[in-house]
Amino acid sequence: MSDAQTGTTEVRHIKHEAVPTRFARGWHCIGLEKDFKDGKPHSIEAFGTKLVVWADSQGELKVLDGYCRHMGGDLSQGTVKGDEVACPFHDWRWGGDGRCKQIPYSRRVPLRARTRTWHAMTQDGMVFVWHDHEGNPPIAEQAIPAIEGGPSDPTWTDWAWAQTVVDTNCREIIDNVVDMAHFFYVHHAFPTYFKNTFEGHTATQLQKGVNRDDMRPAEVAIGAPKRLGNTSVATYHGPSFMIDDLIYHYEHGDTRTVLINCHYPIDENSFVLMYGISMQRPEVEDDDPAAAEALAAKMVATVRLGFEQDVEIWRNKTRIDNPLLCEEDGPVYQVRRWYEQFYVDVADVRAEMTDRFEFELDTAKPIEAWQREVDENVARRAAEAAEAAALQPQDA
Amino acid sequence: MGVRPDNRLADAPMHPVACASCAGRVLVRKASWHQTSVQWTDEAQAACTSWSPGSAVLGFPPVCDRLRTSIADAVLDGTLPVVGDEQ
Ligand code: FES
Ligand SMILES: [Fe+2]
Repeated sequence: MSDAQTGTTEVRHIKHEAVPTRFARGWHCIGLEKDFKDGKPHSIEAFGTKLVVWADSQGELKVLDGYCRHMGGDLSQGTVKGDEVACPFHDWRWGGDGRCKQIPYSRRVPLRARTRTWHAMTQDGMVFVWHDHEGNPPIAEQAIPAIEGGPSDPTWTDWAWAQTVVDTNCREIIDNVVDMAHFFYVHHAFPTYFKNTFEGHTATQLQKGVNRDDMRPAEVAIGAPKRLGNTSVATYHGPSFMIDDLIYHYEHGDTRTVLINCHYPIDENSFVLMYGISMQRPEVEDDDPAAAEALAAKMVATVRLGFEQDVEIWRNKTRIDNPLLCEEDGPVYQVRRWYEQFYVDVADVRAEMTDRFEFELDTAKPIEAWQREVDENVARRAAEAAEAAALQPQDA
Repeated sequence: MGVRPDNRLADAPMHPVACASCAGRVLVRKASWHQTSVQWTDEAQAACTSWSPGSAVLGFPPVCDRLRTSIADAVLDGTLPVVGDEQ
């Protein structure tokens, strides 16, 4: 029974269980490759712990638990010595395979001098770390696809990249992928076509939109070019990494871009949100060769405005497991059902989490056209019935 | 964790629709003339002969056009109700 039927005296209560203590299974981008390849160990607070990331002498990135198994030193504050990371506390040397290779003041390394390694990979200039609460190796089907275009292609700009810490559970950003209505109210865009498709480990949002003319002061303030609208196909490949093929429609023509929207959890109540843009260079390059980079940087600033609008909402809202949805809302429950597959053990992934689900909003065909067709059908059927009735006596 | 049921399905559940060109049967719900939800099963996905994955770069949605037609026909036949169209 709906609330309307039960009367207005009953109050609906917001429900939420404790945030999950687990973190999602899958590849998580932790940043740009070039930022980790400076010969120093790097500290990443993620998955409720600390990781150390460094490049060995071959330039291959290695990721270990950040805390030294000797007496708990922070390896990310140490130094890279040869292929190994050296602890700042007593100089124990740890290899990328997780083994202690050397203790400079001791003749022998004790048994079981082995720490936790993390699967890492680099692709399209980004670094990814695999997390799985069951400790299994990466799942082949969850591999991150290579980007079509992007910085690997010389006709595209390098990543214009930004990151920020958000103090809430990362489910909030997943909800965003289905939240049609918020595009209008929070981001001042007006979708004319919207489609979500969830299938396997991917969740896609296709959106065609026009911009609201009444709401551009923020973009104008940073000198971003006037945008008429956009076509965006954004897909989460696994729980945290989204590739958004985004075509901006400007007064001066279309621009193809790739927007990355990704995050990794610091702990259950905070995450690092990262986003980057690469843009196809204009066919006729400006006199200024850095013009495309400058435009990409402005676009990232525009994206930042968008995320800041979200973050401001998230900062103040409550977690809610029982959102009260109206018919105009998107498939919030269904995307959460999809997202849940990354939190349960592999053996507990149910078909309903991965079976294909489609949600489409298509305003191309006006309602009057629908109604006219239905009316015509009804009339046609009535005519057919009358005709059949007229024919009947002759048949008999 | 466990995800709760969608409050909108309590009063207006999804309806089975059979594809006119394959053996697939899916669950469909139309919240309005413009909105369509489709729940597939493994069997329906296996039976479908016309699924197109679309193109991210060109902005084409993934869709089975034949099923889309079957759903539109079900609406026009009056066998698939449109939730927002209650008079
Ligand atoms: S704690 Fe790392 S070397 Fe002692
Ligand atoms: Fe948003």
